[in-house]
Amino acid sequence: MKALVVYCHPRPDSYTAAVRDTVMDRLTDHGAEVRLIDLYGAGFNPVMSAQEHAAYEDESANTRGLEPHVADLQWCDTLVFVYPTWWYGMPAVLKGWLDRALVPGVAFHLPNEAHKNIQPGLPNITRLGVFTTCGASRWLTFMIGSPGRRTLLRGFRLICAGSCKTTFAAHYSIDSSTPASRAAHLAKVAAKMDRFIGPKPTRQEARA
Amino acid sequence: MARALVLFAHPCPESFSAALHTATVEALTKGGWEVDDCDLNAEGFSPVLTMEERRAYHDELGNVAPVAGYVDRLRAAQALVMVFPVWNFGYPAILKGFLDRVFLPGVSFKLVDGKVEPNLTHIRKLVAVTTYGGTRMRAFMAGDPPRKSVRRAVWHVCRPDTMKYLALYDMNRATDAQRGDFLARVTREMEAL
Repeated sequence: MKALVVYCHPRPDSYTAAVRDTVMDRLTDHGAEVRLIDLYGAGFNPVMSAQEHAAYEDESANTRGLEPHVADLQWCDTLVFVYPTWWYGMPAVLKGWLDRALVPGVAFHLPNEAHKNIQPGLPNITRLGVFTTCGASRWLTFMIGSPGRRTLLRGFRLICAGSCKTTFAAHYSIDSSTPASRAAHLAKVAAKMDRFIGPKPTRQEARA
Repeated sequence: MARALVLFAHPCPESFSAALHTATVEALTKGGWEVDDCDLNAEGFSPVLTMEERRAYHDELGNVAPVAGYVDRLRAAQALVMVFPVWNFGYPAILKGFLDRVFLPGVSFKLVDGKVEPNLTHIRKLVAVTTYGGTRMRAFMAGDPPRKSVRRAVWHVCRPDTMKYLALYDMNRATDAQRGDFLARVTREMEAL
């Protein structure tokens, strides 16, 4: 297994860092090869420039400056995002990573004469995970419609393998969390990860 | 005169989004609004919420300092008009960062007993003018996150009398006529706002 963990939080001492460590620990324990992208740590610039936008559809130039990120996306079979939910979505730094690294020719293929819809570009990704924290309660997040979760688990999933397996866990109402609730959530993350990376049955096995 | 804050988020002046932005500003002005035109890319807005900002996030006295100018502009507005392209089923990062950094506790919402109370109720009209590369069905299949973010999350802290979400889908294959029709629709709606 080749796992890419994309982590985004400005504070090294945050609870989100503990979630990341739990995810990394489970992956390592299962013998996965793991790569980590720490977006704040790397000082990733989330703003797509006018020059980048102008070259966006030029597949010979649109990965310039983003080669390691593109290589990681094409290398992995498992992708896990770990971030705090701000304004019901991912932090701008992570959104900007999607904006800049998910270029045509890599992440997807624009409609052409053969295909009138967008075609997926990352069928190598067969597992997609999201682990987050929310200031809002579970109920309010549900009422708003969890736009961040949908952007990744439904939107991003459209460009992965058709059978891509997903997992998700959020600690809601994080501002009123307790040491006990945070510890319980880490245990939940570990359990979700174990199920997520366990052997995936083939279609034949599933039918048998 | 009532004031409208236009938040624009596209880096390229030759883009269709820029044409929508120009039409929006002109139509609002014609309709009698005093327009505060905020072009986030041109102003060099940084969408990155820093470690220091995160630490001070819940301090309602200190949290506005790094973005005080933007907070003042938001507080002065009776209408908020967001003009942006949808990228990867979300806002461009520069606009998402505006929510992260400027829509702070004590600014856009208040936490009362852990619950979010609206705090931008001076904004009576909320508008989004946007374009999607993919089809409406594709956006629907993904749950249309940007539509939910505007119509529910931003709406929730403004509680406006008027809410408009003007979207052109399937931009990858749109014809000049479809773009022209949408531009005309945006102009009409903004003049009448």
